[in-house]
Amino acid sequence: MLGTLRLALAGVWRAKLRSALTVLGILIGIAAVVVVTALTTGARQVVGNQIESLGSNLLFIFSQPTARSGARVAALGLTEDDALAIRREASAVSKVTVYSDVRVQVVSEIANDSIQVVGADASYFSVRGFSVEGGRMWTASEGLVKAKVCLIGQTAIRKLFGGVDPIGRFVRVGKHPFRVIGTLKSKGDSPFEDQDDRIIMPIGSWRSRVRPTSGRRVQLIMAKSKSSGHTAQAVRQIDGILRQRHRIDDGEEADFRVRTQEGFKKRQDAVFGALTALLLSVAAVSLFVGGVGVMNIMLVSVAERTREIGIRMAIGARKLDIQLQFLAEAVVLTLLGGGLGILAALGLATVLSQATGWEMPLSGTAVGIAVTTSLLVGFVFGFLPARRAANLDPIEALRHE
Amino acid sequence: MDGGGALIQLAGVCKDYKSGPEIVHALIDVDLTVGAGEFVAIVGASGSGKSTLMNILGCLDRPTAGVFTLGGVGVGDRSGDARAMVRNRLIGFVFQGFNLLARTTALENVELPLLYRGVSRKERRRRAIEALCEVGLQDRLGHTPTQLSGGQQQRVAIARALVTRPPLLLADEPTGNLDTRTSYEVLALLQTLVRDQGITVMLVTHEPDVAACAHRVITVRDGRITDDSHNSQPVQARAQLAAALTV
Ligand SMILES: Nc1ncnc2c1ncn2[C@@H]1O[C@H](COP(=O)(O)OP(=O)(O)OP(=O)(O)O)[C@@H](O)[C@H]1O
Ligand SMILES: [Mg+2]
Repeated sequence: MLGTLRLALAGVWRAKLRSALTVLGILIGIAAVVVVTALTTGARQVVGNQIESLGSNLLFIFSQPTARSGARVAALGLTEDDALAIRREASAVSKVTVYSDVRVQVVSEIANDSIQVVGADASYFSVRGFSVEGGRMWTASEGLVKAKVCLIGQTAIRKLFGGVDPIGRFVRVGKHPFRVIGTLKSKGDSPFEDQDDRIIMPIGSWRSRVRPTSGRRVQLIMAKSKSSGHTAQAVRQIDGILRQRHRIDDGEEADFRVRTQEGFKKRQDAVFGALTALLLSVAAVSLFVGGVGVMNIMLVSVAERTREIGIRMAIGARKLDIQLQFLAEAVVLTLLGGGLGILAALGLATVLSQATGWEMPLSGTAVGIAVTTSLLVGFVFGFLPARRAANLDPIEALRHE
Repeated sequence: MDGGGALIQLAGVCKDYKSGPEIVHALIDVDLTVGAGEFVAIVGASGSGKSTLMNILGCLDRPTAGVFTLGGVGVGDRSGDARAMVRNRLIGFVFQGFNLLARTTALENVELPLLYRGVSRKERRRRAIEALCEVGLQDRLGHTPTQLSGGQQQRVAIARALVTRPPLLLADEPTGNLDTRTSYEVLALLQTLVRDQGITVMLVTHEPDVAACAHRVITVRDGRITDDSHNSQPVQARAQLAAALTV
């Protein structure tokens, strides 16, 4: 076994340039496989973390325009009372909150910039996982009287106040000044936005002073199901409650839409799955072409070394000995390509992860797959040439010039 | 002929080659018995069937008809791998063109038959060095064929044939590419092997001087053995070599 391997190495070493060129196709294919795996693992992780950062077991209820003629119903949209009804009646839901936002120009004493201005209620913080870092939350009575107070996120602090402590200072939205009473702990990016580039105020204050809206309307209701096992039930309950409140029969098109966090995740997974499949099929084509190159070079090698094969047979090499010798040579070639491919992938992944700022772990699985694949390519494409060598007639092989 | 202790026995051996629509009868009804320790020369015109005979004796080829037994065992109709085993265990080959592996040292060339026999690395090395010493090449172990003279290459080939200690050594025109002096060197070596180790040597040659060194000369003509004569006074190659040196 060891002897066969040594012989194969010698065979590969003897034709260095040819071996190097042959190995190139395999190298590219394997490098592609490894980089694609690392890249999608990294991207999946980043987006996965972003989705996680929204909170957990979340349900999002959007209002949606319908084609129906009932103007009264369409005008209603979602309201705080819808949220209250869900809180009261949906047993699979543990928390409910309301949300409205608008991106507008916000002015401080020293700067002025476009910031996400959010109106919400107190449960918004626990549903979405925001927490107060400095200062305080608004009180219930401040919420009721639509007090002009707000909490401010880290990015917004940077934009509006630079290094200065914002607590107790004022920001102006439109013509109304709001007192900053607290700062938010940093939360990073969601799949949609920078979650720290915002100020949050009571929904009543938002409705009456930022975007005057009638009838307790909100843009979005968010709910949290009791557990991931309760999510489907929660969707059904919310759908039932809102259909009843909005007087929409079952089977009719609703003026709202319920989306789950798992749904986001699934959609992201599907996108990544498709992307991975596409990239891997390109890699597979490269591997196939590389494999055919190996087969070609092995056939040439068998033809060139016909006399050598004859000599080996004359002094007692069996068919299997010859077959193994050439198979091992093919496998050594593809393994070499695989090894170099992994190294190339390592370099490329480092460069890419520096460029994107994502972590690109070169997993053991990816390396394992790469090694197995190169072995397999060697065996598959080395088989035919090796068998051709083993089936040579010793006399004719000896006579070969 | 008495085949009791015979090493080689051919009975009614035929070999036909099909080339296109024609059939070439390369060997026709050959009977031959060779005992252990004989030194046999095979002579005959070009195309008479000498190499065909050697290929069958060497288990490289199968007879079309007839029986071939080697050491009392029928081998003529064995499968490819079984014949490979027989070649490895019982037969050593020496060819006109030496047939050493290029870019491979003398030592590695000689080790090769032991490799296919599954002998350990250390043991291979030891026995290959021993065989190379026997042919007087102890100081050329690391040389590749291109770094050796024709006579030296043929001696490496003989060492390779001997390293497995086979009872039979087949040589198809081993001196065909060598000058007279080197030819006698190789012949002296073969004679020593026959005398000291009891090896059977069968050698194909065109040169009467070479045939004169054998105990027995077989003449092949048009695929048949037409003459089989014993030579009670074979020429001693070593003496010829000494004579040539003193002249
Ligand atoms: N593979 C083959 N196919 C067809 N005919 C063959 C084949 N090998 C040998 N022959 C024929 O068989 C006959 C004997 O050939 P062989 O090689 O045994 O001759 P030889 O006595 O060794 O000749 P030489 O002294 O020139 O080497 C020749 O007529 C040759 O043409
Ligand atoms: Mg011949």
